[in-house]
Amino acid sequence: MDLYSEEILEHYKHPQHEGTLESPDFEAEDSNPLCGDKIKFAMKQGADGKISDVAFTAAGCAISKASASMLTEYVMEKKVERLQHMNPQEMLDLLGLKLTPARVKCALLAQAVMRKSILEKKYHLK
Amino acid sequence: MPMFNPKQLKGDFPILKRQINGQPLVYLDNASTSQKPNSVIQALTEVYSNHYANIHRGIHTLSEEATDLFEFTRLTVAQFIGAQPDEIIFTRNTTEAINLVAYTWAAQQLKKGDKLVVSALEHHSNLVPWQQVCALTGATLDVIPYTEGYELDMEAAKRIINSKTKLVAITQISNVLGTVVPVKEIAALSHSVGAKILVDGAQSVPHMPVAVRDLDCDWLAFSSHKMLGPSGVGVLFGKKALMEQMPPFLFGGGMIREVDQFHTGFAPSPYRFEAGTPSIADVIAFKPALDYLNNLGMQNVFAHGQDLYAYAYNKLKTLEYVKIYGPQPGPTSGPVLSFNVGKIHPHDVASILDQHGVAIRAGHHCAQPLIDRLGVPATTRMSFYVYSTKEDIDVAFEAIKDVYAKLA
Repeated sequence: MDLYSEEILEHYKHPQHEGTLESPDFEAEDSNPLCGDKIKFAMKQGADGKISDVAFTAAGCAISKASASMLTEYVMEKKVERLQHMNPQEMLDLLGLKLTPARVKCALLAQAVMRKSILEKKYHLK
Repeated sequence: MPMFNPKQLKGDFPILKRQINGQPLVYLDNASTSQKPNSVIQALTEVYSNHYANIHRGIHTLSEEATDLFEFTRLTVAQFIGAQPDEIIFTRNTTEAINLVAYTWAAQQLKKGDKLVVSALEHHSNLVPWQQVCALTGATLDVIPYTEGYELDMEAAKRIINSKTKLVAITQISNVLGTVVPVKEIAALSHSVGAKILVDGAQSVPHMPVAVRDLDCDWLAFSSHKMLGPSGVGVLFGKKALMEQMPPFLFGGGMIREVDQFHTGFAPSPYRFEAGTPSIADVIAFKPALDYLNNLGMQNVFAHGQDLYAYAYNKLKTLEYVKIYGPQPGPTSGPVLSFNVGKIHPHDVASILDQHGVAIRAGHHCAQPLIDRLGVPATTRMSFYVYSTKEDIDVAFEAIKDVYAKLA
């Protein structure tokens, strides 16, 4: 079993939607203090309630960066209400990796930050 | 040159026959914990099969046997570091040994305006307890920096250790940089201003000859599990006169002289500091670990570790994308080597090395202030022991090249 599949390496070396957005509707940042992974995730919502644009920046390991990149592809054209309830298992299924427990937290950071951006806005936590 | 053959020693360690991800295990995480030889594993089985009972309590035969064996380890530990048996206190680990001194000596003796000195190389276990002591007493912390060559800055040490200093708590070998610290000189500096010195020997006692009278340290803390022995056993050496003045740490059974309903007279040191049933079998099985090291000779063990450091250092130096954080091979280099592979995160390095069967540590190594000073989020660390070979380093080296090929 290769942790670093072709797909993961491709996303790590050529990340999708890497960068920032002008006046995003949703934006959040978080880090994993134990390993220093840090991800910023931003999304724009179209008139139809679906995500119309997305961007991320990440500092950290290949797994966290690749999972953020894959997540940006996943969220496009999805309803915000749907994404708000995206659970960790869906993220792991998206990655399709058999991760060791120590690496699961790397894979889940992007998903957590994405949800945080929605929940913070919804509940006016920012 | 080392007087033993590390390749031959591998046969004494059953776990080293394991395969990891289809590859032979190459265990280079010895600064975290060491593997155990047959003699230690058999001693555990032997105690539980034939000699197990509670110690210092019973009149019956098994209790006497267990007590004899337990005290035999205390004697062997004392001889190992050149101390007296009643200066040896068993704890759970190095951390607990340091906390014992923090709470029963430092927290009682220090006051506002006093200084407590550590180095920039400390493991959290020799930093966080002292931060707590400062919070409790109003004393403040001073930090001896390291030089650009990753050695302790002795010029700074001479300035920082002054008449306000009451305690110096310092590591003898850095668990991140592998740097060997001249603690004998630091002890002389400390005593010249009337300060006490505690040495964190977690990385040094397993790897080099350590003689407490020669160092003239007041306390020395280390752990069995990093020196071939069982986990769950730490050691605190403390000078007899000092320990007799210190109050107990934990209270309860085993540490008393006499108890009436409302008062207790405490046992003398070391028993005063060993409340409750200790890790009996683990302490007993620590003795064959010490015997194993004595057989090899600690001078040889140290030379072997330095030899492997130099080999790994010079080999990794040939890869222009590898950055090493540690001293030039020489008298101040120990058996621990930290590095990074380009900008690749150490967790990715560790994951790929694991796929090659190579166990190394990645992260902040419980030394976050030091990692912050290095200016990186984390490092990758390989660390050696008596059964480590140059071939092990060769396997790790090829795996590191694979990391770069995959992720750069």
